[in-house]
Amino acid sequence: MVNTLRLGGRQWLLALGLILLVILLTPWLWKQVERFDAGPDYRIPYSLSKDYWLFQRRLEDKLPPRSIVLLGDSVVWGEYVLPDGTWSHFLNAQSGPEATYVNGGVNGLFPLALEGLVDDYGRAMRRQKVILHCNLLWLSSPKADLQTDKEETFNHSRLVPQFSPRIPCYRADANERLEALVERHVNFVGWVSHLQDAYFAQKSLLKWTLEDDGGDPARYPNSYRNPLAQVTFHVPEAPLDDPQRGPKSSRHKPWTESGGATSFEWVTLETSLQWAAFRHIVQTLRDRGNDVFVIVGPFNEHMVAEASQPPYRTLRDGVTTWLEEHKIPHLVPETLPSELYADASHPLTDGYALLARRTLESEAFQSWRQRQ
Amino acid sequence: MLFHTWPFLIFLLIVVPVFFALQKTRWWIPWLMAASYFFYGWWNPYYLLLVIYSTVLDFSLVALMDHCPQAGGKVDVAARLFQLRFDDGVLKTAFLVAVTATVAIFAVAWAGPASLRPALAGLAVIFLLMALGALLSHRRIWLLISVVNNLALLLFFKYGHFAVDNLNTLFAWLHCAGRLPEPSTLMPFGFSYVLPVGISFFTFQSLSYTIDFYLGNVERERNFLRFATFVCFFPQLMAGPIERARHLLPQFRQFPAFRLQNVTDGLSLFLVGLFKKLALANYLAFYVERVYDQPKNFGAPALLLATFAFAWQIYFDFSGYTDMARGVARLLGFNLILNFNHPYLAAGLGEFWTRWHISLSSWFRDYVYIPLGGNRGGVFNTYRNLLVTFLLSGIWHGAAWTFAIWGGLHALGVMITRELERSARYREQVPRLVKQLAVFGFVGFAWIFFRAESLDDAWLIISRIFTATWSNPEMPALMLALVGLVWLYQFLCESRWRTLLETSFVRIGAAVCMVLYLFLFSSGGGAFIYFQF
Repeated sequence: MVNTLRLGGRQWLLALGLILLVILLTPWLWKQVERFDAGPDYRIPYSLSKDYWLFQRRLEDKLPPRSIVLLGDSVVWGEYVLPDGTWSHFLNAQSGPEATYVNGGVNGLFPLALEGLVDDYGRAMRRQKVILHCNLLWLSSPKADLQTDKEETFNHSRLVPQFSPRIPCYRADANERLEALVERHVNFVGWVSHLQDAYFAQKSLLKWTLEDDGGDPARYPNSYRNPLAQVTFHVPEAPLDDPQRGPKSSRHKPWTESGGATSFEWVTLETSLQWAAFRHIVQTLRDRGNDVFVIVGPFNEHMVAEASQPPYRTLRDGVTTWLEEHKIPHLVPETLPSELYADASHPLTDGYALLARRTLESEAFQSWRQRQ
Repeated sequence: MLFHTWPFLIFLLIVVPVFFALQKTRWWIPWLMAASYFFYGWWNPYYLLLVIYSTVLDFSLVALMDHCPQAGGKVDVAARLFQLRFDDGVLKTAFLVAVTATVAIFAVAWAGPASLRPALAGLAVIFLLMALGALLSHRRIWLLISVVNNLALLLFFKYGHFAVDNLNTLFAWLHCAGRLPEPSTLMPFGFSYVLPVGISFFTFQSLSYTIDFYLGNVERERNFLRFATFVCFFPQLMAGPIERARHLLPQFRQFPAFRLQNVTDGLSLFLVGLFKKLALANYLAFYVERVYDQPKNFGAPALLLATFAFAWQIYFDFSGYTDMARGVARLLGFNLILNFNHPYLAAGLGEFWTRWHISLSSWFRDYVYIPLGGNRGGVFNTYRNLLVTFLLSGIWHGAAWTFAIWGGLHALGVMITRELERSARYREQVPRLVKQLAVFGFVGFAWIFFRAESLDDAWLIISRIFTATWSNPEMPALMLALVGLVWLYQFLCESRWRTLLETSFVRIGAAVCMVLYLFLFSSGGGAFIYFQF
């Protein structure tokens, strides 16, 4: 044996003890020293969408008293709007001080991934009031439902069920799947991902040192930079003036300006993977003592072609029936005016304002909000 | 299944406890064999047939060799051929089986699917040779079959394209109309033509057993399962070390005693290997790929540093694999031979080959260089034998002229350092550090041919190193620092400061740092470079 690095039994025990100590203590210590400003309209920045550890930390440490968490995808997060144009913002603005609505949306999330997020990172929400958004867009085709056999790459693949139920278009090898499970269950690994997401442009430190600037010929600006200087101990915030979002951005426009009615290949509730995941999320939350309120849509029905309308209604009614059968308070808001949608499911700023008003005016919602 | 993946961890967590639970039964060897076959089959279950075929054949050949007289006596061939009068019943059975099998193969080839014919033709040759071996009762024929069979497997799967391409080019140059078919068209049932992982390793290991038995260096193994486990033992099946029967087979004769030291040593070796692979080799690979994939776009410093980085990448990658292999074997209680011994501290090219891929260099020394005459017969013959051995060693690494040149360069390097060592002035006055750096420089230069995609690329890189402008190489400073640290560690290891590295403080500190580094920074994934060989 050439290596001098040969540890005996006691030395291994000591080394493992030290490693365990670091693994257990570091994430906790990190929370004490890293500044994390989560104001009233805070939402996880787009660049940190996959920082699930931060999502968990926010739920653990940054929830105001009497908060109601809105959980869902980019409709809740506010894909086309600024933080002061989101659903949660208008709910806060239009309701009294008796509750604070928290934007718990994550960009690009879908029910199969939300299931993983709630299971593994959402325990801190235990016994909270939760509004769960049900976006029927994820049932609008076999591809959106992740049912197709052809391999697809999609967001948040680390959150989807890795082994069961089987997702046909998810073809990661066994190692990737196990790696995802480890990350979801070992806090330290999640914290490492947070470091990478927050300070090293979603890369490992080693890959960060090799990053190119995308030019031709490429330059490598990080080659001689000190990686430690990147760690500012301050969770990055979303840019105040996001050119991709808000009324001033070119994306913030009614859907009719870029397309017409669309045919959707709706899947059935019986076969839908996303719907099964959604039901599981509801069950998990209820098992944890959460008081759940479900809001279905409002989907942009103006965009649904004539032939796709009947199966859409069947689907929406099926969802409502299931919620009623399971005595889950819910709301199916009336479809917003066409010009208030940016696409099939995302409202524009005024759309969110109207949606918040309709939510607050709903009797079902009011009685749910007031119950203890 | 790669050592640095989660499925392997699960595999190990099942294999090791069951192995120790079977201590007092006869099932531990079948268990190890089954685990090894599962490990190999995880990659491609079809190529498992190849390992099994090679194992069965070499086991049978040695058994048959054992039935032949040591000194080939006179044999009444006519009596054997026409009256089936054999002194030895086993040889008679072998003759009948081989002849029957040959006839059956011809029948299947005639009546069966056409895609099977090339494979059947190969098998028919083997069986015909077996019939001849039984008929003549000559040990050398059994050895010949083993050599032919193992090398034919290698030739077909590893060198098929290379040989066909070069021969077809030669035919065209000679204005011959004939063209050899693409090797992929010879695969039965349209199976894909893929290089079986580790074929160079398990064929050489199996072959060493038949050669050693022929030479009288090892006893015949009568237990098939034990022999099969020797050939396919999972820690070293994919990329060595290439074990010798006389070293590993006896270890399978009795259950290894459980010792805590085996566990701690195994873990230590595994951790070091994992660190070399994930933290160092994979990191260096990014820079090497960046530069070597487009050498035209980079200046001399980048090309020099990428060559330097590749020298370390391949060392960390391969020695990392070996460390992990040895660590896993040690965990089970088995000792695999040392394969790397700080090769970049060698002060001569000859010494380099006693430190780099030791199991392969000793294989070529014992089965090629020495049978060719070794250093007997004067300087010319010695150097001719060296050149042949190194050229074969180069070609063993890959089917391309770049590998042959790499081997040739090493032969040249060995000859030069041998000549230099004859001079007292060189031996005594040139500081060891200078020799070490010179050897590293030479080895690094040779790696250019090893790593370049083609001969043209290799020439381009070399010419640009000397002619291109000096621009910013943009190699991460962290990368250089890490390699520098490892080099320093190795120098310290072979100095009087070694005791410092052996203190508990350094050992524990290093282990903790390595584990945390792996958690924090490792870049994951990536197969081992030597799997392609």
